[in-house]
Amino acid sequence: MHIMEGFLPIEHAVGWTIASAPFVAYGIHAIKKRIAENPEQRMLLGVAAAFTFVLSALKLPSVTGSCSHPTGTGLGSILFGPAAMAPIGLVVLLFQALLLAHGGITTLGANVFSMAIIGPFAAFALFRLAQKLRLSFALSVFIAASMADLLTYVTTSLQLAWAFPDPVSGFAGSFVKFAGIFAITQIPLAISEGLLTVVIMNAIRRFNPQELKAMKLVSRSEVNA
Amino acid sequence: MLIEQSAYANRWRRVAPAAKGVFALAGFVAAFAAATPRAAIAVAALICLVTLAGARVAVLRYLRVAAPALFFLAISCLSLAFSVDVDVSASAFDLTPGGLQRVAEVGARSLGALASLLFLVLTTPLIDLIALLRALRTPEILLEIMVLCYRMLFVFSAAVHDTLTAQAARLGYATNALALRSLGGLAANLTLQVWQRASDLHVAAQSRNNDGPLRFLEPTFANGRRDVQVAAAGGGALIALALLLGRGCA
Repeated sequence: MHIMEGFLPIEHAVGWTIASAPFVAYGIHAIKKRIAENPEQRMLLGVAAAFTFVLSALKLPSVTGSCSHPTGTGLGSILFGPAAMAPIGLVVLLFQALLLAHGGITTLGANVFSMAIIGPFAAFALFRLAQKLRLSFALSVFIAASMADLLTYVTTSLQLAWAFPDPVSGFAGSFVKFAGIFAITQIPLAISEGLLTVVIMNAIRRFNPQELKAMKLVSRSEVNA
Repeated sequence: MLIEQSAYANRWRRVAPAAKGVFALAGFVAAFAAATPRAAIAVAALICLVTLAGARVAVLRYLRVAAPALFFLAISCLSLAFSVDVDVSASAFDLTPGGLQRVAEVGARSLGALASLLFLVLTTPLIDLIALLRALRTPEILLEIMVLCYRMLFVFSAAVHDTLTAQAARLGYATNALALRSLGGLAANLTLQVWQRASDLHVAAQSRNNDGPLRFLEPTFANGRRDVQVAAAGGGALIALALLLGRGCA
C-alpha cells in the first residue's frame, strides 16, 4: 500500500525526494563498484528488480483470512544487500506507478524512503543482529522480513501524519489514526510475509546452498547440515 | 497488463514521448497549482477528456485501470475526514473541524495528478518512457536495471502463471497453510531462476562481445519538435486554466 499519486502536499513530495536521493546515489555508487569487481552482477541486478516486481504482485494469504501483497524488501535486502535495494526499489516503485498506476510519480520519493530505504536497512540490520545473537537462521529471517514489512508501514504512517496533522490531536493523533488503519492489514501481513520468506530461504538453502554460502548468509557448517 | 495494452494501441502511439511527457508534467503542475478543489477537478476532467477523446483510450479500460487508485483515494480521504482523540479512551472518532474542506482539496489534487499519470502511461509504452529518461540523462546503471527489469518481468510473469496453474491443479491453494507452502515453493523457485537467468544473459552478452554497458537503438518519431510545441501550448493552457479558475473562486 503506497502513498497514491498527488496525495502529499508539494513541499512534502519534494522533501522526501531530496531525503531519498543520497541513499539512491550511494546505492548506484555501490552497484557500480560491485559491477566493476564482478561484471556478471550487471545482469543480476536487473533480473533481481524484475523478481521483486513480480514478487510484489503475488497474492499472499493473510492470517485474518483476507489476502494482500508481499513487499519483498526483507528478502531482497538479505539476498542483495540494503544499499543495492535503494536503486532496485526505486525502479520497482517506478514500474508499479507506470505499469499498474499503483503509487505515483510525485510520491515516488516518499515511497522510496519507506519501502526501499527504511525497510531494507532495518531488515539487514535485524538479520545481522539476530545472527550475532546466535538465533536460528529461520528465526533471523522471520524477524528481518516481518519487521521490514512493519517498519515500512510505520514510516508511511509517519509520513502521512506529518503531512496531515490532526486539527484536534496534532501529529500524535494523526499517527495513531493512520497506523491504526494500517495495523488492521499490516500486522497479519507482516507475519505472513515473515513466514513466506522463511519458507523461501529454507527452500533455497535446501536446493541451492552454494549461492547463500557465496553471499555469506549461512556458514559452511549450516550448509553441510 | 491493461496499461501496456493501451499504451501500444492508442491513437497517439506514434506521437513523440517528450510531447506526452511535457503535457503530463503540465498536468501535475496544474493539479498542484490549482487554488481551489473546483479548479483541480476541472484540470482532472480536461486531462481525462484528452486521454479518452484525443488518444482514444477505451473508456472501460480507463475505468478498470483507475478503479484501484480511486478506491485507495476514497479510503485515504475518509481517514482525513475523521480525527482521533489520543487522550480519550472511548468514542474517540469525530469529524475533523474543516475536514471536509481538506478532503475536497486533497482529493481534487490527487484526481488531477492521477489523471496526468494515467494520460502518460496509457498513451506511452514503457520502453519509450525509458528512452525519454535516457534523453534526460538518467544514470546509465538505473536505465540498465530498468531495461533488464522490463524484459525479464514478462518472463517471470509467465513462469509465475504456469507454476500457479500447476500448483492449483494439484490443490496447492486449497487451504491457507497449503497456499503459504505453495507460494514459498514458487518464490524459492523464482529466486533460483534469478541467478540462472542472470548467468545466461551474461553469457549471451559475452558471446556478442559485450564490453560493459548495454547499448540500445533509440526509437525515432516524425514531427517530434511540432508535437512538443503543441503539447507545451496545451499544457500552458491547462496551467492557466487552473490559475484562472482558482482566482475566479477566491
